[in-house]
Amino acid sequence: MNVGDRLPEWSLPITPTLVVSTAIATRDFQDVHHDRDIAQAAGSKDIFVNILTSTALCERYVTDWAGPDVQIRGISIRLGAPAYPYDTFTFSGEVTSVEDGVATIKVVGSVSLGDHVIGTVTVAA
Amino acid sequence: MNHPASEALVDPAVHEKIMAEAERIKGWGEAAERFARDEVNQPTINNWLEAMGLDNPRFKAGEAPPSMAQVWTMYGLGGRPSEDDPLHAMMRALTGAGFTAVLGTNCEQSYDRYLEVGERLRVTTALDSVVGPKATGMGVGYFVTSRNTWYVDHPDGRGERVATMLFRVLKFIPREKTS
Repeated sequence: MNVGDRLPEWSLPITPTLVVSTAIATRDFQDVHHDRDIAQAAGSKDIFVNILTSTALCERYVTDWAGPDVQIRGISIRLGAPAYPYDTFTFSGEVTSVEDGVATIKVVGSVSLGDHVIGTVTVAA
Repeated sequence: MNHPASEALVDPAVHEKIMAEAERIKGWGEAAERFARDEVNQPTINNWLEAMGLDNPRFKAGEAPPSMAQVWTMYGLGGRPSEDDPLHAMMRALTGAGFTAVLGTNCEQSYDRYLEVGERLRVTTALDSVVGPKATGMGVGYFVTSRNTWYVDHPDGRGERVATMLFRVLKFIPREKTS
């Protein structure tokens, strides 16, 4: 891993099934992640991807690129635009530093409304 | 200290009450300790791998994906935080002061190591900071940051820290919709 290395862009369609299955797989039963009527009554356009999944998709994106032996030390994310069904995630990433045995990878997962997640994934280099 | 900008956003008496409550709850330190319902287990890992579309042979051979750390101690369907949970105590205080809406803004997880099938996690919650009032695009609110620490307890009585998380939410008064 070298500073400036870019991760290949990755697209993931956001289906209702993705939103619901990932919410339940992360044991997050908040109704806004699986019940559209309740999500809309709360002022949301639709159900939306939960935070544990935003983090998990950063883990997947970096793992798919770095390989199964990668040792992830941390994932920090800042949340932006909500990720609704029928939209698409586009992930991009770049190695921003490699020092003291730790590589830092900046990851951005965007949707049509803007950046959904701006993340920093640190891995053993 | 005088904060004219802040006073314009929130009644100073309300602000003082909020900050006093924050200090009180911060004083609880690592609180609301609880154990995961289940040990780290393969079926739950498999469900997560399928949902995320992640394929890694390590996670079929005894290790758990690092970002699942939080999953093990989720409350589950119908589960509720206890009265002494610092994050929820602070949320209650802000809701009571009119800051009814909530939005997650930051989540910073660190992993000391990958967890292994069979380990049972213990988690604590502390209130890290309450910052505000701030005028944001969503409305006027306070940023509330909590800190979770996950441990694995060993037979010799040693509690090993395995993961941490800083979680920040904006607790705010929704702006009036302009039509």
